[in-house]
Amino acid sequence: MSQAEAVAPKFKITLSRDVIDVAYRLLAVALICIVLSLVSDAFLTTNNLLNVLRQASLVFFMASGLTLVILTGKIDLSIGATVGLSACVAATIIKSTGSPWIGGLAAICIGALVGLGNGLMVTKLRIPSFIATYGMLWVAQGATYYYMSGQSVYGFPPGFRALGSGYLLGIPIPIYLMVVFMLLGNFFTKRTTYGQQIYAIGANSVAGRLSGIPVNSRLNLVFILSGAMAGLASLIYLARLNSAEGDIGETLTLPTIAAVVIGGTSLFGGVGSLFGTFIGGLILTLILNGMNLLSLNANWQPLVTGLIVLLAVWLDMKTRSKTDSN
Amino acid sequence: MSERVLAQGFSALGRIPGVAFVLVALFAIFASMSPGFSTAPNLSNILVQSAILLLLALPMTFIIMTEGLDLSIGAVLTLASVVLASVAVSTGSLPLAFVAALAIGLAFGLLNGWIIAWLDIPPFVATLGTLGIAQGLCLVLTDGQSIVGMPPALHYIYSGYLLGIPFPLVIAAVAYVAMHGILYHTRLGTYVPALGGNREALRHAGVNDRLVLAVIYGIGGLMAGVAGLLLTSRMSAAHPTAAIGMEFDAIAAVAVGGTQFERGEGWLFGTLLGVITIGVLRNGLNLLEMPSSVQVVCVGLLVIVALFLDGMRKVQE
Amino acid sequence: MPPGNVHSIARMTNLATIAPVESDGGPAAPLLELRGISKTFPGVRALDNVSFPIWAGEIHMLCGENGAGKSSLMKVLCGAYVADEGELFNHGEKIEIKSTLDARKFGIAVIFQEFSLVPYLSVAQNIYLGREFQGKIPGTIDRQKIRSEARRVLAMIGSDIDIDAQVHSLGVAQQQIVEIAKALSQNARILVMDEPTSALSDTETEHLFGMMRRLKANGVAIVYISHRMAEVFLLGDRITILRDGKMVATVLPHETSPGDLVQKMVGRKVDAIHRRGANMKAGEVALDVRGLSAPSGIADINLQVRAGEIVGLCGLVGSGRTEVARAIFGADRITGGDVTFFGKKFTGGPDKATQMGVALIPESRKAQGLALIRSVGDNIVLAALDKLFPSRVFHPSKARHTAETMIKKLRISTPSPRRTVQVLSGGNQQKVVIGKWLTADARLFIFDEPTRGIDVGAKAEIFALMYDLVENGAAVLMISSELSEIVNVCDRAYVMREGRVAGELPRDRLTEENILQLGMHHE
Repeated sequence: MSQAEAVAPKFKITLSRDVIDVAYRLLAVALICIVLSLVSDAFLTTNNLLNVLRQASLVFFMASGLTLVILTGKIDLSIGATVGLSACVAATIIKSTGSPWIGGLAAICIGALVGLGNGLMVTKLRIPSFIATYGMLWVAQGATYYYMSGQSVYGFPPGFRALGSGYLLGIPIPIYLMVVFMLLGNFFTKRTTYGQQIYAIGANSVAGRLSGIPVNSRLNLVFILSGAMAGLASLIYLARLNSAEGDIGETLTLPTIAAVVIGGTSLFGGVGSLFGTFIGGLILTLILNGMNLLSLNANWQPLVTGLIVLLAVWLDMKTRSKTDSN
Repeated sequence: MSERVLAQGFSALGRIPGVAFVLVALFAIFASMSPGFSTAPNLSNILVQSAILLLLALPMTFIIMTEGLDLSIGAVLTLASVVLASVAVSTGSLPLAFVAALAIGLAFGLLNGWIIAWLDIPPFVATLGTLGIAQGLCLVLTDGQSIVGMPPALHYIYSGYLLGIPFPLVIAAVAYVAMHGILYHTRLGTYVPALGGNREALRHAGVNDRLVLAVIYGIGGLMAGVAGLLLTSRMSAAHPTAAIGMEFDAIAAVAVGGTQFERGEGWLFGTLLGVITIGVLRNGLNLLEMPSSVQVVCVGLLVIVALFLDGMRKVQE
Repeated sequence: MPPGNVHSIARMTNLATIAPVESDGGPAAPLLELRGISKTFPGVRALDNVSFPIWAGEIHMLCGENGAGKSSLMKVLCGAYVADEGELFNHGEKIEIKSTLDARKFGIAVIFQEFSLVPYLSVAQNIYLGREFQGKIPGTIDRQKIRSEARRVLAMIGSDIDIDAQVHSLGVAQQQIVEIAKALSQNARILVMDEPTSALSDTETEHLFGMMRRLKANGVAIVYISHRMAEVFLLGDRITILRDGKMVATVLPHETSPGDLVQKMVGRKVDAIHRRGANMKAGEVALDVRGLSAPSGIADINLQVRAGEIVGLCGLVGSGRTEVARAIFGADRITGGDVTFFGKKFTGGPDKATQMGVALIPESRKAQGLALIRSVGDNIVLAALDKLFPSRVFHPSKARHTAETMIKKLRISTPSPRRTVQVLSGGNQQKVVIGKWLTADARLFIFDEPTRGIDVGAKAEIFALMYDLVENGAAVLMISSELSEIVNVCDRAYVMREGRVAGELPRDRLTEENILQLGMHHE
């Protein structure tokens, strides 16, 4: 038995599920691009493509932290509000101190604090993550509105603005940042023990605990990282928009979750990748871009995003149940 | 063993005055801080304004008792309001508009029910998706603008009286009685805690648990339609962003009122108290000229405190 | 003959003196008769040609060790399993039970250990769940009728539980009564009860027996699974012994004795497992447990395991063995006592235990031992991540190499370490779990039912692995329901009974009969 099987694998190429999933999605990207180029002349222009990439990178920053949380089988619904809160606080600090560094640090710290709050509610108070982060969403949102008191802040130092609107060698800077963070994130998830443990927790947190993984510590870690990444993302948003208002984060939660789910990360945990999230964000951005190019009313976007989320989750569940029954 | 029943009784007792205690405390605080708080017109105001929230919180209680959640209920309310306004303005017929509003609410409720019960998609994702869809439809139908020019009769639904009682309170009371009746006097109501507590047992008993679940979400959508009616009447207009966030208040009211998110434990009267508590909280903060953002934070803190106390109780058990 | 010790139950119920009830006059057919019932699962013949009659108004005792086939039989009776061979007869007429609905139609109700009750509904609502009576207004239910009927059913079995009490507030005993009432309200003629008194106090047990007497008088047949000799002889009108899926005998109580029963439950063909050679010197004390108590139901546990030893932990299902294992490993909270590993006191959770070189191979490897959707390689290095990569930087090549070495060493049958664990056979999955702990350099292994669901060939391999471990200085604590395994493999064994250690059996007294005697409730 063992000898025959030892010979066979040399002739079989078994691809991991991750690779197959990403391949399908890259195919989807290609298809969408083809369709869009046929439907609109404006699609294949350098300007538009760079714009799409830049937009996708913004989505990616927020979605990267969220991916970690979802990999453990939890959810973070407060992510949009965290971006809003960090952005507004950072904005006022940058304005008042003139230093983007202090503002940046503040944004990340606030995000991390919100994340810690979420983590503690889940690990210590044993509140289901969707309720805990939903409550946190409103607390953060309310805090943001109160903090801004209806004002808006605008006009940041040009050096800072370059973060969002600047170009380097003809390519928008956020795209470089995205590549950097994708590499860092990939390293974290695939090349550290923390990453391995995170996948294990998502796959089976009970078995993980009984295998010596400090599950609560890791959960707190991913929530903190999710919040911190939201803080980071808020900076790039600020730099791009060059202004901050109380309602910044409101519409961000749904597209962020959409990007993660479309990218193949399962809501049940244990499956997915950051690269997948990037592709997911890209797919979403392409679709919304296509809608723009076709002059479809922007009001359709939340609706389409909602539909896409449902479709993506449903597809994920269908393919999941197929493999589970094997 | 009787010791344990006693202990359970005490902890249940410890929960009941919980929300009532908070309510009384808030009442006392605000009464002392704002002279205008404990006046009859203001108190009546609180009750009337809470009517809309109660219409959302009642079905939310059922939904949470099934270990589910409906994040879309606020958006569906807004959509119903928009639909009502559009039909009213274009046809001039209020009855037709009412039916349209209820129909769209019911449709979305059943859509939620189908996605959750048959497609097995987790409730928070499913209703997050339908939230987006409902919100999107609102924006598309109104193009971001408010709809005005309602038939004047609409106004009376909110500001009218029936035997001296403000009409919204009548509607809220009828809704409460109806939901109470459903929960305690129908098979559907009996199955609500079963869906949350032991779905298997229900299946073994031969009940179509999926259908029951879908109907429960359907009721939620329908009530959102009725609430949309009241809201449109109150504003005599439909704003596409009117009720955003109201689902949070509804969930908060249910949580504060003692309904658990797991195992099917729920209390309808608690939800009523929770709704009034939140009404008192918001009203009191309003009188203290706190912006709505602060109010939202306070509601959030209230929920966290309630869940924290819950957590302590669970640890003790 | 009933045991000589005086017991309140014996004084009270007098059930044993009632002769088997047969239908009035003439040779009547049994209420239910099983003939040649067999059920096979891949690799295991759970039931093999089982035949016996169940008469109305009788309490029929079903005895057998863990794994003898009792639970499979229960599932066939209630329609959860469909028998592969054999026939069922109801009053002499052939019937088929293909679903739980069929079983209910024929009046068969099984009271499982896990109740099918809804926690936040009342007793009355639970009894009539799904069968509520219509009220006067169409669409409503008649609450009063549900309550009065529930009261009636409970009265019929002599219970005064508050019908309006919510089920979550009831103790286990009362929940059991509600389950029984639920079954009776569906006109159950045959009640199958699985170790019903295991969670009850003496008073509650008396209540239950009184209830059963009433049911008997009403012509209900009760199939009662028990290990407690006192009960078997006090209540049983007929006793059937199962062993390895086969029916050994159906006897009347006065034809047998407790000792005879035990012999019938245990006596078996010579097993393929060779008895391990007598142990050489045992080394340092690897595990020292003193006075361990936990809310999970164990109290005052004392045991010791030395390096080089395989120590068994046995007892009936529900005696607390897994709870002890989990408490030792830090997976459950403890309320008292000390656990010491290799001389160092242990407090904390499984992560700490792992660091100290302790391993737990859980009972349900799929649910608790493996991340099924992850690969073999991922699972193998899971407990050793910090040891292998102290810098926390993960090198896939090193991980794969480590996994491949372990796969080869344990002869795990998989084409590559990247295969998902889910597709492996039970035996190979178990090897992956063991491999995980070997990779983590564990020196104390706690096995919980290591060979459950594993075919004979793989079983031998697992034991060979275990011998290897202890020969290299590791210590092993092994929980097993297979008494032959304990006897052949262990150097000595602790026997648990109802949450406590009932006794320790050194090698010269380590026999299956002794284990059963210690483990069973006998007075």
